[in-house]
Amino acid sequence: MTPRTPIHDYTIVSALGRGRAAHYEALLAGRSGLGAHTLGDGTTCTVGRVAGLEDVRMPDPLARYDCRNNRLALLALETDGFAESVAACRARVGAQAVGVVIGTSTSGISATEAAYRTADFARTGALPPDFPYRETHNVFSCGDFVSRYLGTAGPALVVSTACSSSAKAFATATRWLTAGICRAVVVGGVDSLCETTLYGFHSLSLLAKGLPRPFSANRDGIGVGEAAGFALLTAPDLPWRDGVLALAGVGDSADAYHMTAPHPEAQGARAAMAAALEGAGWEAGDVDYVHLHGTGTVHNDAAEDLALAHVGLARTPASSTKGATGHTLGAAGMCAVAFAGLAMERGYIPGTANTVAMDPGFGSRLILQAYAATVRRSLINTFGFGGSNCTLALERRG
Amino acid sequence: MIAYLAGLGMLGPGLLDGQQGLAALASAGPLGAALRAPVATGLSPNEARRCPASARYALDVGMQALSAAGWDAARVATVLSSGSGDLEILDKNCRALTQTPAVLSPTLFHNSVHNAAGGYWGIATHSRAPTTSLSAYDASFAAGLLEALTTLPARRTCLLVAYDLPAPAALASVRKVVAPFAVALALCAEPPRQSPLARLDWRWQPRSGATETAMPVTEREALRQGNPAARALPLLEAIAKRRPTTVVWPCPRAGELQAELSFLD
Repeated sequence: MTPRTPIHDYTIVSALGRGRAAHYEALLAGRSGLGAHTLGDGTTCTVGRVAGLEDVRMPDPLARYDCRNNRLALLALETDGFAESVAACRARVGAQAVGVVIGTSTSGISATEAAYRTADFARTGALPPDFPYRETHNVFSCGDFVSRYLGTAGPALVVSTACSSSAKAFATATRWLTAGICRAVVVGGVDSLCETTLYGFHSLSLLAKGLPRPFSANRDGIGVGEAAGFALLTAPDLPWRDGVLALAGVGDSADAYHMTAPHPEAQGARAAMAAALEGAGWEAGDVDYVHLHGTGTVHNDAAEDLALAHVGLARTPASSTKGATGHTLGAAGMCAVAFAGLAMERGYIPGTANTVAMDPGFGSRLILQAYAATVRRSLINTFGFGGSNCTLALERRG
Repeated sequence: MIAYLAGLGMLGPGLLDGQQGLAALASAGPLGAALRAPVATGLSPNEARRCPASARYALDVGMQALSAAGWDAARVATVLSSGSGDLEILDKNCRALTQTPAVLSPTLFHNSVHNAAGGYWGIATHSRAPTTSLSAYDASFAAGLLEALTTLPARRTCLLVAYDLPAPAALASVRKVVAPFAVALALCAEPPRQSPLARLDWRWQPRSGATETAMPVTEREALRQGNPAARALPLLEAIAKRRPTTVVWPCPRAGELQAELSFLD
């Protein structure tokens, strides 16, 4: 059994709204934050857009970091008092002892996409030398931005393993805390809307025509969403807050099968869930709730349903929030931690927005509509391109 | 904390594989610019056709290190570190997005994820062991090494693969990588059965004021500074010369990773 890592504080911003309270209410009501979108070839789909990013201003010293992804990060850092929480922690343990691990898939790629569309680029065939590639688009950009914005001086890196990115960021954070490299780690998941993912998923025929309906028989794909969230993890010997959440175990695995399709027998997903249970010291029967990866694609949902049965979680209440937020890709793990956290703190199990009935071929206990329940132990699943899987075990303390 | 290096792989200018590369680094002569095409060992012809250059470099050096260590890939966790990922693919995708209507290639899309090399590694080795892919821009090698070293207490073995490739013309003005370079280190928590290449006594600490370990020879220093993965060169040269030394990688605004190298016989 691995030692518990306290999750001292957390926050989330998505198409559902800004902050924990807004998400609690939206998920309880079963609301979807997705809106209609039309691609260049006339294809209709849905996207989960965060309102108000156009008005976010970077602080002057960080002006070169200005891009949609870092604006989204900034908005989340200034939500639920998260930045203040980090500042208090930093004052207590020292800036050198606070690390930053962010998960993202596309970082600030939309800045480069836009630069390629300019008349300048068409003329010169190159980005201008003053284009802020390092600060906006590079994979590490958001980790660098968050570390500078929060004034931390511990190690910083960005994990980028597609849709498992921010779940795996939690794994890195626990390793740093266990090794004594940090006393606290800011973990985040930040991914913003961009053309690459929209047209990329379109090229794979994985975009839902309307609202995504995870785990339903007529599911037809994902809606791409954007989100940013952060959690402050602290060393177990620092004082715990009342009712705090804890990371109880991490399980990660590779499918070793295909770049985009899940293993047909869900071998990788099963291994990730089993490892998370083992790490937490739990039996499958100890789990009160599973936050599904539940993207809404035909094959992913089928593989996840199969994996749940194999690991003994077929009778455990489970739901997908991707019909509400969209698939937030690299931020999906962070969204799941926040939503499972709310379930444990507020005492309810969220439903599966847009899904009216579960695929009759599935064996899971899919929760369609939210209801009040005591949730002490949760698993969250994330599975990504490249066969990258990560399951986290979360528990409520006190 | 102690770790052992059971095997390594490399591919870069004048450094064509682990064995030849160590000999070249042990000598005083110039490395030169000779390169070898990376080999995507273990992939089916179809997968090999789709496999991008960045993943080929990762597979090539990773397989070298595994084979030198005599390890079975199935149980070895991997950490793949790259400052910028595959900028050739990024360039192609961004160009495709300027067309009306925009149409992306599904293969280029899935190859554009930062963990594409990790995905191909799993397909090539059939390994379901945990794998992670990360970036810390120019500090990516040290960040990857730290990630691999902190993976050892739980996993006992970990393969670190670091790689970066030059940017295509459109991006060369904003991201300078002077030459392709990839390195792989097979790290373990216990002394390996065969004699280890080196023992690493490592620590992460606040900035000590020590300067970053550089290469005394100009040609090698230019490569070290010109490719994030080549920040491994001081470590590789010390191993090549079996010279006990402490390598320091300061991380911008943060602490520093130190590895004290020793040789058992």
